Amino acid sequence: MTRWWDFAKSGPLFCLVVAGIGTSGGDANAQEGASAPTEPTSREQELQDRVDQLERRVGELESTTVLSEPETRVRQIEVYVDENGVEHETPQPGTRPVITYQREAVYRRQTISEKIDEAMEDAANRSVGVGVDAAIVLQNVQQTDGDDAPADGNTYELASADVFFTAGLAQNTVFFADIVGLSGTPPDNEVGGLTLLNGYAARLQNQNELTLREAWFMTELANQKLGLTAGRVDLTNFFDHNAVANDETSQFLSDALVNNPMLGLSENGAGLAAVFDPKSGFTAKFGYQQSSSTAQNLSDSLFYLGEVSKLFTPFNLGEGTYRAWLRSDNSSGSNQQAYGISADQKITAALTLFGRFGSAQTAGPRDEFYSFGFQLKNGVTFNPEDAWGMGYAQTELGAGDAEELLEGYYNLRMTQKMALFFHVTYATEKPLGAGEVSYLVPGVRFQATF
Amino acid sequence: MSIGRVTTLAQVVCALVISAPLSAQDHTQHAPNASLAAATAGKPIKIADPTSVVLIVNRDSNDIGFMDIATKKMIGSVFLGNNVNPHMAMMSHDGRYVVTGGTRANKAYIIDVPTMTLVKEVPVGFAPEHLAFTPDGRYYYQGNPDGDSISVIDMVSMTEIKRIPGLVMPLNITFTPDGSKAYIGNYGAHWVGVIDVARHELLKRIEVGQMPGVAKFDPDRYLGDIKGVSNATITNDGRYIYAADGDLGIVGVIDTRDDKVIKTIRVGADPWRVYMSHDGRYAVTVNNGDETISVIDTGTNEVVATLEGGPDMTGVNFAAGKAFVISATSGFVYVYDATKWKPAGRIKIGVNLQLETATTDTADKTLYLASSTDHAIYVIDAATEAFEKVTGVGLYPWGTHVMESKDNYCH
Repeated sequence: MTRWWDFAKSGPLFCLVVAGIGTSGGDANAQEGASAPTEPTSREQELQDRVDQLERRVGELESTTVLSEPETRVRQIEVYVDENGVEHETPQPGTRPVITYQREAVYRRQTISEKIDEAMEDAANRSVGVGVDAAIVLQNVQQTDGDDAPADGNTYELASADVFFTAGLAQNTVFFADIVGLSGTPPDNEVGGLTLLNGYAARLQNQNELTLREAWFMTELANQKLGLTAGRVDLTNFFDHNAVANDETSQFLSDALVNNPMLGLSENGAGLAAVFDPKSGFTAKFGYQQSSSTAQNLSDSLFYLGEVSKLFTPFNLGEGTYRAWLRSDNSSGSNQQAYGISADQKITAALTLFGRFGSAQTAGPRDEFYSFGFQLKNGVTFNPEDAWGMGYAQTELGAGDAEELLEGYYNLRMTQKMALFFHVTYATEKPLGAGEVSYLVPGVRFQATF
Repeated sequence: MSIGRVTTLAQVVCALVISAPLSAQDHTQHAPNASLAAATAGKPIKIADPTSVVLIVNRDSNDIGFMDIATKKMIGSVFLGNNVNPHMAMMSHDGRYVVTGGTRANKAYIIDVPTMTLVKEVPVGFAPEHLAFTPDGRYYYQGNPDGDSISVIDMVSMTEIKRIPGLVMPLNITFTPDGSKAYIGNYGAHWVGVIDVARHELLKRIEVGQMPGVAKFDPDRYLGDIKGVSNATITNDGRYIYAADGDLGIVGVIDTRDDKVIKTIRVGADPWRVYMSHDGRYAVTVNNGDETISVIDTGTNEVVATLEGGPDMTGVNFAAGKAFVISATSGFVYVYDATKWKPAGRIKIGVNLQLETATTDTADKTLYLASSTDHAIYVIDAATEAFEKVTGVGLYPWGTHVMESKDNYCH
């Protein structure tokens, strides 16, 4: 297609001047001249000017219900300072660059609502963020197999409330603390399984009192590719992730389908986590954590963990993340190692599969664990944001004890802040030297997060 | 030959070279009016090729800047008036005009590109922001989100010939390739408006999706700050519209033959809008509620990838086989492999910046990213991901535009 600038660029005289543009432009001029109105009288002109002024004023009022004070903004600028302390806007001989801050006028008037929004946002950014995650879990235990056990027919209720605080301390640096209170009884005290049927009590030692679950500082370095977290940490938040089986507050309730027991972490404690994440789908992590509340120094019960993970899209499926980790710890008095994998793979937009495996060194034969299952959402639920899933986990200790566990859940999202969960768990405990005992554990969980 | 004769000859040549294509393409070109002739008469040509410049919308210097693509130097800018606060600019399909809406002035502005002259101010509705030209270039639709209307501006008379009411915070306007209909994203509602372009009338309102049954438990979520439909994104063949709804977390696929939703696709939380890949195979949403992006295969209308994004994402550009997602407040541009849809790193533009939107050049090689608080444009090489900062472009650049780019959008 020939366009006007093709002609324009080829015409050597084009850039001199622009004459009447287009033939119609000339006609329009002629018509305008022919129908030009007569000159208004001075009174008419005065009235017309007044009308124009009022129209402008109305337009301004309509569009700029604004603060009369012009907007200002503080900017970070770079200036160049010489040996006498004089600032220059551009580099000069003998000057050095300095970062400073300076207010500048903005040739835009803010509306009152914009100003209020900005002030509220600014206040929110400066304040300490507080969040609450509360849950009530009701579970009933029905023994289906084995010798009579104390849990048979009993009902259990555990109430949990996490209050967490977040504050920005410096550029890319935050402080986080999580205080948790547990009240009530989970079924695990009477069932006595290898893993917890209620994951809310995992890695917490005290009930009916407040416990500091986590308290740490986090900063990001190296163009925010490297995150460092130090303080009282829960390394299961950093290692052995899984997209659909990693969060007891929104997915499975059984701890065996939340974390890999071969990680070996029994309590939160002092530690550090370093996460290298260049946002390319590859992540490397390293961390250490003390996992004993009775430790006398940092060398006691110290766990070291390392993990690499990679995002793949195999066989033209959706994204899947595959992780492998290693652990070394001295909690048993000598260094023992464990390793494991955790993977989640999206099959369709609705269906995600997951799987875990772990193996841990002991004084005797190795402990081993594996789990797998799926999560469904998006269209195969009652409500759009609901999800449900099923998972199976098997734990075999080198000493001979074993456990099989099957859980299904449905997450009914009632509001953004509130959800109702329905769980059914079937667990078979195989203690060494005793008969198998099986339990059916239906449960309901009410969850509020705000 | 005297200077006077040279000038006369030049005037004749200029008139010929400009009027020749005008008369040859009546369906796309329209005769300028008298005010244009008067405003531009005798002014020197500053832009001989409209495809050679990047437009920069400067909200606080209240002007439209013109940057030369080859040299990355500013050619100049056109001042619109005090406190005009322009929001988005677009070049007409023939490259002759630039139009913009002045949000604080309730006016549309028409700029003559060759002479960089403001030739017309047109009073429009309340708080004009986003806009679009009809495919034939005859009309320019200016959305007035606070006035719940669209102003129809005739590019021949350069006047508002009609104001279309009945919309609810109309943000973006999308014309079908044949120009028969326009689809309007209503951010203050959960429907897409269909406008009959021949009559400039709202034909129908297409509900993108329905409120979930549990909505009655959570009225505050829906009664508060509404996040409806920001944009109706059209496929390259004009057959389908993809409209994301922020509150519902879905994308509605509308068949433009009968204007019905044929499928709703659940994406991440609070999708801002859909961006179409240049080959039309993928529709991408940026989901600011959960800081992810969702990638929809337009062949199957299924989400094929949900990937980690950043905070406050404002746009997606496609170039060099990659997708570039702008994260406004983090100072990063996130990069994705746009064939395998995997994360491919992120570009750190700077700290304490407010990144706005970008446009891509027509060769799909270079991005021009507006960064408002440091008054700069970042020119990003899509292949190497190296970038260069260009300053002195104006105050508070809000967006950029390159003629015939496939990534001309605003936020």
